[in-house]
Amino acid sequence: MTAAHPVHEQTDTTARAVSLMDDPDTCRRVFQTMTRIATTDGEIQKMLAAGELQFQYYPCGGQEAIPAAIEPLLRPDDHMVTTYRGIHDIVAKGTPVREIMAEISGRAAGTSKGKGGPMHLSDPNSGLMVTTGIVGAGLPIADGLGLAARLDGTDRVVVVSFGDGAANIGAFNESLNLASLWRLPVIFVCQNNQYAEYTSYADSTRSQTLAKRADGYEMPGVTVDGTDPAAVHAAAAEAVARARSGGGPTLLECVAYRLQGHSFGSDEGHMDQAELAAAREAAPLIAFRRRLIDHGVLSEDAAAAIETQARDEVADALDFARSSEPPGDDELYTDVFADTAHNPELTPGDRAAAQPDTPDTPDTPAGRPISYCQAVNEALDQALANDDRVILLGEDIADPAGGIVKATAGLSTKHGANRVRATPISEQAIVGSAIGASLAGFKPVAEIMVVDFTMVCMDQIANHAAKLRYMSGGRTGVGITIRTLCGGNVGSFGAQHSQSLEAWFAHTPGLKVVAPATPADAKGLLASCIDDPDPCIVIEAMRLYFGTDDVPEGDHRVPLGSAAVRREGRDVTIVSYSWPLAEALAAAEILAADGIDAEVIDLRSIVPLDKATVLASVAKTKRALVVHGAVEFCGFGAELATLIHTELHGELAAPVARYGGRYTPIPFTQGLEAKHFPDAAGIVARARALVQA
Amino acid sequence: MARIILKVPKAAVSMQEGTLVEWFVDDGDTVSVGQPLYSIETEKSALEIESPFAGTIKRIGLIGQTYQVGAPIAEITQ
Repeated sequence: MTAAHPVHEQTDTTARAVSLMDDPDTCRRVFQTMTRIATTDGEIQKMLAAGELQFQYYPCGGQEAIPAAIEPLLRPDDHMVTTYRGIHDIVAKGTPVREIMAEISGRAAGTSKGKGGPMHLSDPNSGLMVTTGIVGAGLPIADGLGLAARLDGTDRVVVVSFGDGAANIGAFNESLNLASLWRLPVIFVCQNNQYAEYTSYADSTRSQTLAKRADGYEMPGVTVDGTDPAAVHAAAAEAVARARSGGGPTLLECVAYRLQGHSFGSDEGHMDQAELAAAREAAPLIAFRRRLIDHGVLSEDAAAAIETQARDEVADALDFARSSEPPGDDELYTDVFADTAHNPELTPGDRAAAQPDTPDTPDTPAGRPISYCQAVNEALDQALANDDRVILLGEDIADPAGGIVKATAGLSTKHGANRVRATPISEQAIVGSAIGASLAGFKPVAEIMVVDFTMVCMDQIANHAAKLRYMSGGRTGVGITIRTLCGGNVGSFGAQHSQSLEAWFAHTPGLKVVAPATPADAKGLLASCIDDPDPCIVIEAMRLYFGTDDVPEGDHRVPLGSAAVRREGRDVTIVSYSWPLAEALAAAEILAADGIDAEVIDLRSIVPLDKATVLASVAKTKRALVVHGAVEFCGFGAELATLIHTELHGELAAPVARYGGRYTPIPFTQGLEAKHFPDAAGIVARARALVQA
Repeated sequence: MARIILKVPKAAVSMQEGTLVEWFVDDGDTVSVGQPLYSIETEKSALEIESPFAGTIKRIGLIGQTYQVGAPIAEITQ
């Protein structure tokens, strides 16, 4: 289909204070950057055509002028977030070409030790914080980097690059709205290259320009000719100055034309061939070179010298990459977590570890009875008081609401609305902002009101929070905490507010997952998560929220990956966590009356996983029942059952039993909801069957 | 004089191998950057591969043969 792309309104930038063409030094700098970009891009494509490199590559041809013209306006400490078609942004921001070439060649000397690859280059030294392979996902993270700049009190700015395709994804709306609301120093650079993969602009939107959408967010929106460095430079100068001075974000739409197919080698049949030919004739680098020579800014010799220098730089980078070693096999597991020992696959599960002398029952220091909710509040309050890098983000969390169940009541009043920030209903922006702020050194605690809502921001959680440490080869890390509430088994929330999703998170390498069952653990695990360098999901339970128990005052911590033996017994081990633990303990008392002595383990932490406590218990009792509120089919119980079967095969008196929610959405009406979830009577029946087997 | 082995590129997400359909150059031809060298057919489409380098070409691949991604297809002497 012919791309009948619209006529874009060009903003008149000729009268602006910043005129690139009046500044020969900056002109030459822009030309040099464009040349370095084009040479890098060209050499990569040569290596691909020659079969030396083999990966999916998204060339930047036609868009070189955009970052090259913005670059002179930025400082090394300014942050950039870009996307998989981003080699031009990355070179312009100052990432060493040697490290780029080594990374795309899969070498240990690459930006990410060869573990990120061409779609995930990051170089915090030059301010390149994230390169994402997910369309639109960089925008929420840019908000967080901008928030960090504001909270730090600096005039640092953030440039986030994305394509016209990304403007049609939900994260765009959430991010621009939040950036405007909080006046974040973010320049949203939409590189409109007329194609979203294989689909033309005209087939993607009726918006005449994307910049017009800025009106809806009450932020300036400007459309410029993205092939003209002078136009980009002038508009970006205003946007950067606005951001630096506290004036907030700008949407800068730079209209260019993609000079090739979607990726290296892909066909161009979806592109208007006449347009493509014309765009190639007017390629930005060729045009700017001619213009500089015509204006006397650059001599032919000087231009050739810059070109030779770029070729030498890239040739040297290729030699460097070729002579570098790939990462060693031991790098497979590093950078999943800050501490590789937390990897559940590497946690000792052998027979020796299964038989410690005594079960690891932690002593809970004496405290005073407070509710689970108050315990959460206390952990947050103390974290905010003890560390000014801790910030809270979430819907309704500020006073007077203080959270939907008052978990954050009083905190914004005490610590300020600047640090305890109520957000719009924008889960991607909440988690993305937390990620961005953590990349800039903060310890954000994001609240996703109910765990079911994490599904609308799973991209930020699972593709970004979980993976950025690994994809950057350990050069960045996401030390965020996500607090979220499971509304299950309280008889009023139905199918979309009651689920237990811990297995979803546990299935994603890089996420830590805890599910406290007591007020003391609600405080102690949360405190540990906030200080943990990795992303932690804390699943709180509505059913437990207003029950009280002793909670230590002061700085109480429960280490991650430490299960607790809540009741010792000889005959059967019941492993549970979160609200079903109470059902397990109640069942144990009923079983005791029958003469069956059940041991009850509170897992507390799903990842890291305390295998030793579980295996030691089952080695003793020879029987195990795993109980959780999550749907039994493919639930975490399956993993635990396999662990026990594998490690204790031959010693078990009966196969491990599982007991979770039925394979149904959670029904509203209480009679049916009760049948969906596990309860004490069901646990008793299954434990009896195990003992009688 | 540098000799560079050209290999079958991975020119599509799903490409594992391709069948050489046509040579556009002869042995000993002087080729320039961007000049079409050969056409290779994958399960998805036929692709025209351009020369990444300038130099003298020596053909390795045979028309009608199927080659894995990464297999030598030509040699360029610069």
